[in-house]
Amino acid sequence: MDTVIDAHNISKIYNPGTIPVYAVNNVHLHLQKGEFTALVGPSGSGKTTLLNLIGGLDKTDTGNIFINGIDITKLSAGKLIDFRLHNIGFVFQSFNLIPVLTAKENVEFIMQLQGIKKSEREKRIYPLFKQIGLEDKMNSRPSQLSGGQQQRIAVARALASKPQFVLADEPTANLDSKSASNLLDIMALLNREENMTFIFSTHDQRVIERARRVITLVDGKAVSDTAVVDTGVLHEIEK
Amino acid sequence: MAWRNIWRNKMRSIVIILSVAIGLFAGIAVLALYNGMLKGRVRTVIDAEVAHIQIHDTSFKKDYDPAYVILKGDVIMKALRSMPQVKAFSARSITQGMLVTTTGSAGVQINGVQPLEEYEVSGLKKKIIEGDGFTPGKKNEILIGRKLADKMKLKIGSKLVLTFTDSTADIVSAAFRVAGIYRSNNAPLDERNVYVEKETLNELLSIRNQVHEIAVLLYRDEDLNAVQQQLQKEFPSYQVETWRQISPETDLMVNTVDVYSYIIMIIIMFALAFGIINTMLMAILERTREIGMMTALGMKRYRLFFLVLLETIFLTLCGTPIGLATSWLAINYFNKNGLDLSGMGKELMSSFGYSPIIYPEFPSDKIIIVLLIVIITAVVSCLFPALKALRLQPVEALRR
Repeated sequence: MDTVIDAHNISKIYNPGTIPVYAVNNVHLHLQKGEFTALVGPSGSGKTTLLNLIGGLDKTDTGNIFINGIDITKLSAGKLIDFRLHNIGFVFQSFNLIPVLTAKENVEFIMQLQGIKKSEREKRIYPLFKQIGLEDKMNSRPSQLSGGQQQRIAVARALASKPQFVLADEPTANLDSKSASNLLDIMALLNREENMTFIFSTHDQRVIERARRVITLVDGKAVSDTAVVDTGVLHEIEK
Repeated sequence: MAWRNIWRNKMRSIVIILSVAIGLFAGIAVLALYNGMLKGRVRTVIDAEVAHIQIHDTSFKKDYDPAYVILKGDVIMKALRSMPQVKAFSARSITQGMLVTTTGSAGVQINGVQPLEEYEVSGLKKKIIEGDGFTPGKKNEILIGRKLADKMKLKIGSKLVLTFTDSTADIVSAAFRVAGIYRSNNAPLDERNVYVEKETLNELLSIRNQVHEIAVLLYRDEDLNAVQQQLQKEFPSYQVETWRQISPETDLMVNTVDVYSYIIMIIIMFALAFGIINTMLMAILERTREIGMMTALGMKRYRLFFLVLLETIFLTLCGTPIGLATSWLAINYFNKNGLDLSGMGKELMSSFGYSPIIYPEFPSDKIIIVLLIVIITAVVSCLFPALKALRLQPVEALRR
């Protein structure tokens, strides 16, 4: 299998000069293409910080993060933006769609940033909306959609750029159980059929149950890393 | 997206759009008013005061000695009659003297004119507000200005004495009767200038049928320099001056009024820029999370800057057609009907040589510069909010 993410000794320290707080403490992470991984742990355990570091949204204080063999900790701010645009898909907790754009335009937005031609964009959009089951909502504004629908649009947006993997920060946190289940179905389907790699932070038990690998963080440290085999039983991954 | 963004908060955008429109209206109104005032002043200078061109003996204007007559007056007038650009001319004999009445005296410039010529060149007849002016065949009649008449308590038919030196430096006095009182748009000139018939004055000055000044009125202002150069070439021993040289203060105003108008416009736009900055800052602060999301997804900094710039330009340019249209309507209305500023002080306006009724002119030739000022305002106004947006770190912005 291809390695997508390879992170070594990564730490993020807040207030390094006074009382240092380790948001992420010496974490190693190795993700293969097609994994469906959940980062779990109590609030303040460092899930979001770790996702931000992997996503190149935040700088590590120590360690290196290789994505497809490129050390993103060494990239300049400008190159990092470009790297994110072409390699990483993001799904945020509170959807974060652009309210003045329609669902279609929101999905198209990232492709515009990538400089993809109109004809190619049009070709990609409809299948994406079909995959998320919202082909009839393409021209709706976010305010006309439910939370679940908005989050599905956010997933479509994340996939539109054809990223190496998708980072989702608590994607079901603002959804009711039915919408959450729908969203997870879509993500799982994309993972199975498109071999898309997903890594998401959550403390939603329903999400954890659907994950095929669960990494538990406590006080910034990865305390366990378990994989689900086809029998549905969680097994500790050998480190 | 930029266009849709400005309509997120309609009320706020409308307020700033209206501010831009009002600012633009004010700026263009100032330009139009100055334009109208200046054109009015130039027309007064040309049509009622000095004409387009004046010809004198080179020594005459040094101390207005009546001995310095234009010896070749007839030749010059013959040349003027043959020039197609010349509409009319008035040959004047001029001297400085003292006007004396039983109540007092005043220093005046005595202009000896041929009435019909003068009426055509300086519109003297139209300025007469009391009396009928010169009566053919009647001698020793005088036209005086309203201000001088009030000062010297003179009425139609009043008698006065003019005392001056003739061409041989002898003191001459003669009695005149007021045949008309005139009023122009220039009170100081009205107070200083009196008009008598040239024949009468020439006799008193002992200069026979000679003159000191030939005022030339042209059909078109554009011919000014060409005619002056031609006359100067033909009569090099005389002083041939245009109104710009005779009235340098008016020329200075013509040359500087645009600069003053633009300065006022820039001040208005500068004040307006703070309103735009405030609006854009609020818009950026409200959308911190969204901007964080866009940079997280991979929106490059120059694109973000361009987005803020476009929003600011759209916001500013939305008010531009409103400002242009309202100013065009208002200016055109007042251009036809005149804007009466008598309430601000008729005397005051007149003392500076301005008509109390202004006909503002829409500054069509300056609209490109006005629009440039507006766009520069938008660009400058966007800088601070754009920098604020660019400084946002996606992680921090997404947390808010």
